[in-house]
Amino acid sequence: MIDTLFPFGFPPATAQYLALYVITLVVHVVFMNYVLAGSAYLAMDAMRPAHCRAADQIGTAAALLRDWMPFALSAAITAGVAPLLFVQILYQERFYTANLLLFHRWMSILPVLIVGFYALYLLKRPSAPRRNWVRVAIGLAPFAAIAFTAASWTENHLLSQQPQQWPSFYESGRMVYRSPEMLPRLLVWSVGSVPTACLLLAWQMRREARRGRPAGLRSLSHVAAAAIPLTLLCALAYWPALSPAASRVLRTRFAFPWMSLALAGLLVQFFGWMRVARVSDAGKAGGRLLLVSAGLAMTLLGATCVRECIRLSDMEIQPLLARHAHAAGVGGFAVFLGFAVLNILLMAWAVAIVVRRDDSSAAAPAPSPTPSR
Amino acid sequence: MDLIFYPVNDFGPLMKGLVIGGMGIFHVFLAQFAIGGGLLMCYFQWLASTGREPAARRLVDSFFRFLVLISFVVGALTGVGMWFTTIQISPRTIGVMVEEFHWIWAIEWTFFWLEVVAGYTFYRCALRLGDRDRMRLLLLYTLAAWASLFWINGILSWQLTPGRWVESRNVWSGFFNPSFWPSLLYRTASCMAIAGLVGCAVINAMPNLSSATRTALIHRTARFLLPMAAMPALGIWYLAVVPPDSRAWVLGGSVAMTMFMMLAVGASLLIGLYALIAILWQRLTINGATATLLAALAFVASAGGEFVREGIRKPYTIRNVLLSNSIPPERIAELRRTGAASRDPYPLRDATPLPTDQLRLGALTFRLQCSICHTLDGVNGLVPLTASWAAEQKRVNIAHLQHLKTFMPPFAGSARELEALVQFIGWQAEGAPAAWPESENRAAEERIRRYLDEAGVLPAVGTIRTGER
Repeated sequence: MIDTLFPFGFPPATAQYLALYVITLVVHVVFMNYVLAGSAYLAMDAMRPAHCRAADQIGTAAALLRDWMPFALSAAITAGVAPLLFVQILYQERFYTANLLLFHRWMSILPVLIVGFYALYLLKRPSAPRRNWVRVAIGLAPFAAIAFTAASWTENHLLSQQPQQWPSFYESGRMVYRSPEMLPRLLVWSVGSVPTACLLLAWQMRREARRGRPAGLRSLSHVAAAAIPLTLLCALAYWPALSPAASRVLRTRFAFPWMSLALAGLLVQFFGWMRVARVSDAGKAGGRLLLVSAGLAMTLLGATCVRECIRLSDMEIQPLLARHAHAAGVGGFAVFLGFAVLNILLMAWAVAIVVRRDDSSAAAPAPSPTPSR
Repeated sequence: MDLIFYPVNDFGPLMKGLVIGGMGIFHVFLAQFAIGGGLLMCYFQWLASTGREPAARRLVDSFFRFLVLISFVVGALTGVGMWFTTIQISPRTIGVMVEEFHWIWAIEWTFFWLEVVAGYTFYRCALRLGDRDRMRLLLLYTLAAWASLFWINGILSWQLTPGRWVESRNVWSGFFNPSFWPSLLYRTASCMAIAGLVGCAVINAMPNLSSATRTALIHRTARFLLPMAAMPALGIWYLAVVPPDSRAWVLGGSVAMTMFMMLAVGASLLIGLYALIAILWQRLTINGATATLLAALAFVASAGGEFVREGIRKPYTIRNVLLSNSIPPERIAELRRTGAASRDPYPLRDATPLPTDQLRLGALTFRLQCSICHTLDGVNGLVPLTASWAAEQKRVNIAHLQHLKTFMPPFAGSARELEALVQFIGWQAEGAPAAWPESENRAAEERIRRYLDEAGVLPAVGTIRTGER
């Protein structure tokens, strides 16, 4: 199977679920990256003295983040449901066992996320808390919650890849799994989240600029462009921690084209951001941002496929193929596709209702980016 | 179906059913509030836009903010929590459900998206939208929220009444199963009642409302309690289509199930009577404290109903497919020969205090077969439950489990494992002494084998036949 490009060498049922898993995971990663990097920025912003947090272009970014972060977290959680569904079809025993082994430690992501989520709503309030430590705590809470969740997912994934360790891990009663892959892997995904967040923010700021509000893209471009080589460095640091099988598979026809796509995407993004940095009017950066978006899509798709190739390099998938074929045989796929199209259209209509209204009132005096709720 | 062994976690003195039940009730209540809340908002938006109740628009804006803060945060995360908790309690059950109904879940997922997008667009922009656009967004939100109930209801009701799916294995036969419609309609009425009660509490919390306006809004909101009048008929319809053994437990066959049922009925009746007599007939108003109390009663009613729904599935988690301990019924004959716990790759977490191999095997057998519903000496503890049984009586009763209590599954292990379990329970009952003699295996096991043969491998209820699958 590793002689053919992922996932085309697998039987149709397995290939179908792998493709659906990767595509839905990419959507989840887009929102996840916005939330992870965005909450990190808000945490840093909360620790700055009040007089340094003026409404300059950085301030606009912070205001946009504060305003949109609750929706983005909601979207990240909702987008996460589909890959969660397909990972259960693909790797049921591995996923369930890792969940069970991490037990309370794993389940704790739920209350932690609830706290982080409410902190995001508190951050959205127009009036800041009077006590400084409360303001800092509220600013840090979302990032702490989301970083904890990211670390927990990484831990869960890595433990699911080590079936030979499961019995001894269970016997020990531990709920924290330590692996040499943990830190470099987390760094790749965390640093890699910055360009995505920057791009989404850039599109939002372009919209602000077109409405006549102050918004510049220069600082954002520099941050994004700096994060790209850093991500690459983190990926290089991660390489030695990979198993020999994983390192080998990355050089095969199975994974190499996807890795190349991810790297090419990084290059496109880098040069795209360099061009965006030279634009003086954010409202006119649409074409350049489209170029960066294409690069990001290449990187996310490539990286997500590489992630799956690494997972598959270390496991015997043959026994699972019959289960995938059985799952593919149950009905409902056509109905799912029908409702997916219908609901995408309805969502577009919902957004159109609001955008139409916004456009018609664009000439009105601009309110603060944070709605007065 | 392959028998995959998963690590089993210990929830201390808490029965696993309580853990999943507690989480489930909390999530169901919040989800039903979100669905009913959408319907209520549509009704109030209509009242505002037609000029029937000018203050209704303010209620929509206040209530929706409350709805988003509760439903989009805790509601959404407890939904994911339900999935994770089910994995913790019964990974094989959720595995079968996902395999058979993943496209239904995927359809539900598309409605989650619509709910989030329509909900947030309304949340962010409602104040600057006209009545027609507000109504459109609210209708989209409500449609999506109710559709998520529609889709998940098919999967949950299938667990108890798989219907023709057992023969056809057709996803739609399983989805539109015999209890689908009564369950869906009953839950829809519950959603409206919960939203009506929470709405009354929110109206009382709204500042700057005149007494007359507040009373008018409360009377409008109380109309959402009217569908409760259909609940008795829907409940009877539901009971009529569930398997006869499940129905018998609710109607006196199982004290616990009957009590939970009466709790749900009693709490619903109190709410319904209060709404009918005090609010709608006598035109009395309702203050925030009373509305909150009634909402708490609705929570109790939901809790009772959910426990009954979970409980009457016994001895199955998926009727005719998986037993309560997640063992497929058609594997029992094989497991009687080969043993089950003996094949479990996961060692005991703390085997040190167990003085013999036989006790260690007994502990493994308890973990694999009993711990899903029993603790040792906490909730539904095996030690107190069997305290008055002599050793031989334990052997007979455990071998005949499905006949002793029809909601128990048949014992799914070898005679050696059953004897080890008997010794393990006895050892626990004696205070876990440091020394414990191994029992006379050969003689005891021979008798146990005979008891197991007498009991047979079939569950006492259901339509499963050995070799059917």
